[in-house]
Amino acid sequence: MTLALTHPPARIRRPLVAPLLLLGGLAALVVIGPLVIPHDPAAQDLVRTLEGPSAQHWLGTDHLGRDIAARLVHGGVRSLGIAVSCVGFATGVGVALGLVAAYAGRVADIAIMRLADLMLAFPGLLLALLISGFLGGGVLPMLIGIKLALWPQFARMARAIAIGELAQPHVEAARLAGFPALTILRRHVLPPVLRQTVTLATLGLGAAIMSISSLGFLGLGLQPPTPEWGAMISELLPYLAEAPVQMAAPCLAIFLAVLGATLLGQALAEPPALPEEM
Amino acid sequence: MTAPALALSGLTIRDRSGTALVCDVDLTLEAGSVLLLIGETGSGKSLIAQAVMGLLPAGFSASGSIAINGHAPVEASQAGLLRLLWSRETLLLPQEPRAALDPTMRIAPQLWDAGARDGTAWHGEAGHGLTTQEALAAVDLPPRVSRAFPAELSGGMAQRVLVASALVGRAPLVVADEPTKGLDAARVAQSAALLASLGGAGRALLVITHDVALARALGGQLAVLRDGRIVEQGPADTVFAAPDHPYTRAWLAADPSTWRPCLRCCDLEAPVLSAHGLSFGFSRAEPLFSGVDVHIPPGGILGLTGRSGCGKTTLGNILLGLQPPSAGAVNWQGVDPYRDRAGARRLRQRYQKLHQDPASVFLPGRSFARQFADLAEVVPGLVLDDALPPLLERLRLDRKLLARRPGEVSGGEAQRLALARILLLKPALIVADEPTSRLDPLVQREAIALLAEIVASESLGLVLISHDRALLAATADEVLDIGAGEGATILPGYARGLQEASS
Amino acid sequence: MSAARSSFWPGGAAGTVLRIVASRLVQAVLTALVLASLCFAFVQALPGDAALRIAAARSGDDRVTAESVARVREQEGLDRPVLAQYASWIGRLAQGDLGHSLVSRQPVWQELAEHGRFTLGLGALGWLLSYAIALPLGIACGFRPGGWLDRGTNALAVALASMPSFLVGIGLISLFALTLRWLPPAGFRTGAHMVLPALTLALGLAAFSVRIIRNAVVEVRGAFYMTFARIRGRSAGSAFLHHGVRNAAIPVATFAALQFAYVVDGFVVVETLFNYPGLGDLLVKSLLARDVPMIMGAGMVVGLMYAAVNLLADLACIGLDPRRLAGRGA
Repeated sequence: MTLALTHPPARIRRPLVAPLLLLGGLAALVVIGPLVIPHDPAAQDLVRTLEGPSAQHWLGTDHLGRDIAARLVHGGVRSLGIAVSCVGFATGVGVALGLVAAYAGRVADIAIMRLADLMLAFPGLLLALLISGFLGGGVLPMLIGIKLALWPQFARMARAIAIGELAQPHVEAARLAGFPALTILRRHVLPPVLRQTVTLATLGLGAAIMSISSLGFLGLGLQPPTPEWGAMISELLPYLAEAPVQMAAPCLAIFLAVLGATLLGQALAEPPALPEEM
Repeated sequence: MTAPALALSGLTIRDRSGTALVCDVDLTLEAGSVLLLIGETGSGKSLIAQAVMGLLPAGFSASGSIAINGHAPVEASQAGLLRLLWSRETLLLPQEPRAALDPTMRIAPQLWDAGARDGTAWHGEAGHGLTTQEALAAVDLPPRVSRAFPAELSGGMAQRVLVASALVGRAPLVVADEPTKGLDAARVAQSAALLASLGGAGRALLVITHDVALARALGGQLAVLRDGRIVEQGPADTVFAAPDHPYTRAWLAADPSTWRPCLRCCDLEAPVLSAHGLSFGFSRAEPLFSGVDVHIPPGGILGLTGRSGCGKTTLGNILLGLQPPSAGAVNWQGVDPYRDRAGARRLRQRYQKLHQDPASVFLPGRSFARQFADLAEVVPGLVLDDALPPLLERLRLDRKLLARRPGEVSGGEAQRLALARILLLKPALIVADEPTSRLDPLVQREAIALLAEIVASESLGLVLISHDRALLAATADEVLDIGAGEGATILPGYARGLQEASS
Repeated sequence: MSAARSSFWPGGAAGTVLRIVASRLVQAVLTALVLASLCFAFVQALPGDAALRIAAARSGDDRVTAESVARVREQEGLDRPVLAQYASWIGRLAQGDLGHSLVSRQPVWQELAEHGRFTLGLGALGWLLSYAIALPLGIACGFRPGGWLDRGTNALAVALASMPSFLVGIGLISLFALTLRWLPPAGFRTGAHMVLPALTLALGLAAFSVRIIRNAVVEVRGAFYMTFARIRGRSAGSAFLHHGVRNAAIPVATFAALQFAYVVDGFVVVETLFNYPGLGDLLVKSLLARDVPMIMGAGMVVGLMYAAVNLLADLACIGLDPRRLAGRGA
């Protein structure tokens, strides 16, 4: 999260330690994993299907004899990478449009907010589902769908915070002192907007990971044989009784990634700074 | 002889760290009479009210004894016992009257105590059998208020509702905590009359206030609290006429109604700002004000007053070039800021504002030193090392304060830092919007004196916006009351000053 | 005072309600329009001859003739300009004609009604179950914030909220179907088949709503009007019943609508996981089969349901919170 780094808290507060360790550990695993695990995630071995954990296959093999550990770390790079890119895009576009809506006058405000309302009229996954479905699955449609679904929340929040900040006496005082508009936006409006959207971005990271894995699970996300956590789970589902360890691995990976993001978001949100709906 | 409504003896209140905020206070309030407890912010006066109601914040501890309405004295630490007296013996009129009302319920059902659900008042010794409508009428509220929701009431109306509920209630002791907080001067008198009506209905009143005007209007017994101790007490008339303790004297002298106006002569020919025929209104609605003329010579102080919501702040913003008027023209030394963009940009920094909450004009989280340094970006030729030290000295500000951030200085210091910030911009005119309404009276007097001194020595124009007519009468050369009936009423000021100067 | 006056006149209240209904109607129409346009664009963008595809879908691949393709082209107006086709497409939708499924060849309406019945049952059961869990738990936590129940519930809620619904479902299947063998893992024939899907939905919903309920209760209990009601002689319980419940219900009702977004994710995934023949299952199957009329129909129903739920929540909030009627919400 580059955003979190540009405005670091003065010191890393205690509630932040556990989620940061969790997310950092997962990121390290999926980055180092492919270097350590010798197996090709797509290599099938139809002799050794659904084997339990062993020295050779640390987390066992799936129904096609593929190494679970290798698929897990290779899938993780994609899941986490796509999630970060979606949230980065949504934050950047959302904050920029939110600021424009707050500052650039009525016409821009109405246009941007109506567009956001339109996107928000599609609940949850629906937009990502439809776009993935129409465009036939794969990375690009999924990226488009999730990004389209995410940015309006950021735009709304950035706009609400920016409007609140613009009404502050310190903005009026800066205007009276003759500071140019861009300086005022950069110095008076952007920092509080970013401070508060970091929380939303962190929570959005969790939501994106869930969306990606849900799409994968439904068969509408990354297409096989590309390893992906949600798709792995749906492939292993018929063998739930025979291969509990293999099933538990991707489940746990999704759970820990989302949990890390959720806990980080909660820790950042204290004192609570979420905007009021309506 | 009836027992006193309230007798405190040896009341001491400590916070979490054990620091005594209220020390060894003895007070007696006779049944059916009034006791005024005055003191500045932080003197501990509200804590006494909370202790009597058994509502001290968590972590605070109290010792001493509290006797209410002739019941056996209760140890002050026994909040639970004091709470048993709620409604039957004691009632609180809280600081924020609107927060005391359920926002989702109409007024009428909220007027009544839980014990009087049949809609008729409790018939006690006092024998008040009031209906809802009679109770509302008694506090000057129209009957339709009974069907209103709290959000539709102003703060003053909500306070009346609570007084009405005290009237229909049975508690003989009413504790009013800062009843005039946030009310403008005109309403203070109404508020005093309202409280007096409670006294007339046989209730004993403990009134906690920092408002000398309210204290004067109510009368009764008076106790002055400073740093948690009572420094002086006695009948209000006596204390006001001949204050004994130096603190009481300073406190009373800080009341603007005792200030002597200073009359000066100004150069009327070259105003720093003038405006003609200003009016402002939102589309379709009645204009807030119309036909306002303003003329401010260098060194002149224009007072701007009016009831809340009349557009005082808006008029100030119009003069500052922040809000175009619906009609009329503003003239900044020959430039109309709404028509001549280049001229407006050239003169922008010469028209400045002093805000109500001085700390809020600084960016939170950025040190004062950096924020002063930022000004060099927009003020050509400003050398901070040369300009700032003499200014700070003149405003009696310690250099060390510059390392701090907004929120880490007192209200008075923030006010002077905000003034320093404006003076660095070399203004021709300052609009001060309620600059002292959040300051204690002693600090207010100092701040206003400083402002007046700077206006005179720098030959600035000053527009002083305030709801406090006494303050304006003592400070301004001319007072403009917008929203006083048709158009604006101008109390002639300069003419008087010229006259007296020539005679 | 204009705000105050408006609520004394009944016209003001009716006006507010009308405005809300109108804005949600606009939302519904816009959603439908966007979906219809998306589908139209998609059909246009498909490679190959649309008339040939339709003819093949109607009469079977092997019985397509040049005449039947030409007939379809004329009947469906496929030889007209794109904009005219778009207009007639929208016009047909406006009359409620959603077309036929490309796969089953049934009218889309019929399929939607068949599957919708299952989803409605599952959704209602899941929703009820979620409040049966969250309400008592949330209120109990709100009365003792920071207590062991509160902390335990919070930890559990955070954990549940960090799982996509298929994880919750797999956990429940492993426990109740595979280990304990109390319930069937998938299917839809008997009531027992509904238990696990409904519970999966309910747990996912309750993970969020329990927190909202708890916070609402905590906030209301700390409000000064509650203390003041007690100063005026009410007991703690009576004050909560008279003033607390209504005020606490406002954020909960507002949130219930927002939760619908979760329900959509929830039932799409849960129905697929449990092989339950509802709308979500239908949507996913048609997406996989690229059954355009079906996709549009299902998407539209979900979008319209979302608008309807939002409308209901708005109206519920007005009923609970008269301040909104005074026009202060804007």
